[in-house]
Amino acid sequence: MQILNLGKLPGQQSMLGFHALARLGFEGLVIVSPKIPLASVGYFQDAEKEIDLDYCKKAGIPIMRREVGGGATYLDKNQIFYQVIWKKRNPKFPKKVTEIFEFLSQPPCDTYKEFGIDTYFRPANDIVTREGKKIAGEGGGDIEDSMVLVGGILMDFDYETMGKILKVPDEKFRDKIYKSMKENLTTMKRELGTVPESESIVKVLVEKYEKILGKLDLISLTSETLNKMFELERWFTSKEFLFKKTPRIPKGVRIKEGVEILYSIYKAHGGLIRTSQEVEEEIIEDIIISGDFQFYPKAELEAMEQNLANTKRKDSLINLKIEKFYDKHKIETPKVEPEDFTNAIVIAK
Amino acid sequence: MAVIEDYNMPDELYYHEEDTWVKVEGDNVRVGMTDFYQKLAGDTTYVDLPFEGDKIVQGETCGKIQSAKWVGKFVSPVSGNIVEVNEKLEDNCTLINKDPYGEGWIMIVKLSKLEEELKKLYHGDAVEPWLKQKIKEVEKKK
Repeated sequence: MQILNLGKLPGQQSMLGFHALARLGFEGLVIVSPKIPLASVGYFQDAEKEIDLDYCKKAGIPIMRREVGGGATYLDKNQIFYQVIWKKRNPKFPKKVTEIFEFLSQPPCDTYKEFGIDTYFRPANDIVTREGKKIAGEGGGDIEDSMVLVGGILMDFDYETMGKILKVPDEKFRDKIYKSMKENLTTMKRELGTVPESESIVKVLVEKYEKILGKLDLISLTSETLNKMFELERWFTSKEFLFKKTPRIPKGVRIKEGVEILYSIYKAHGGLIRTSQEVEEEIIEDIIISGDFQFYPKAELEAMEQNLANTKRKDSLINLKIEKFYDKHKIETPKVEPEDFTNAIVIAK
Repeated sequence: MAVIEDYNMPDELYYHEEDTWVKVEGDNVRVGMTDFYQKLAGDTTYVDLPFEGDKIVQGETCGKIQSAKWVGKFVSPVSGNIVEVNEKLEDNCTLINKDPYGEGWIMIVKLSKLEEELKKLYHGDAVEPWLKQKIKEVEKKK
């Protein structure tokens, strides 16, 4: 397998590399940092709903949809991205998605440890400190005949700009998002009080990856890869791909007159709660609840959403339903109470 | 229903290498993801499906399926025109996990060359050795 250390590349180029290399059959590790910041959304995200497009335009921050999973994020030079690419049949790699994340998260965990930060892999795809603060998020996917996992070492993080690039239903939530990120997301700088040299972090990271992948031969960027990146850039930055709606509304289905779609973001002690609701005459027809809170058993969240369908949007009624559901299904949500879900639902607008 | 090492693989179905199943229904076929796929991938979180009327080609990617934060490919096991897409998946894509051979079906396709296409899929006695080899590859890395 090979290693391609791209150093710092302008905005989208830093993410186009792995998309191109996966298509060209490269196997190995790519290390890169964005020289110029960019905002990135996961394949299944709606850029218009997740990103404050006006802010990004004014601030000159390009936006890019990637072909791997994960959420909206802000990328800049203070992050070192590791992008592992391999062919699906390569026996060195696990086949189960959950095992892939765990296997390829060990080197970044060990890298943080080498610099004195005790971290571990938390399923499904986070690296967290012993205090439970996230210090890296990862995403992955199949790109043509290759598989790709991407993640980033956070040397430092611009919480303020991240708060600004996200679209919020109301400006007052921006501050809540900012505070929530400060509480739940940490960096090397915050953990150590200082940032180690990026070259030394990369050196350790490569060594740790070599422990699980074997010797990585250093290669340079070829004109073939560059040409592929330029070719992909046109498609990846096109409005057609960037503002693609997935999952789409099925053919023939229209949101009826009188039906409102309401959104909310609510900060509970245990994390952010997001809701999107289809509401007709103040009755919740359908609701989706998401966020970064913990919910056990995880599979019951969907059942709780279904339980809330056909409920009037009145806090006492909603709270009663949620409390009963908690009791009946033995739900546990650390630092998130049924009242938090109720509040998240009723504030939606 | 055949059970091969904890994976349900109904006898009457045909299977493609990329973990899709095919059920013959008259001139059309119904297509979905196998139990093996859904157990390996975990809970489905999003699907990006082709549209009714789309022409699809056997072995080519025609959609995307996300589980955890992994965006996987949906590879068509047959060639033809899509007659119907399971719209229930747009609202509840975990049907792919809960009922892969029932309510979790993905699309119905009208085939141009039914017999010819089915010959390229695993069926009957060919299913067990093929799946066992896949299971072996999964277990190898544990």
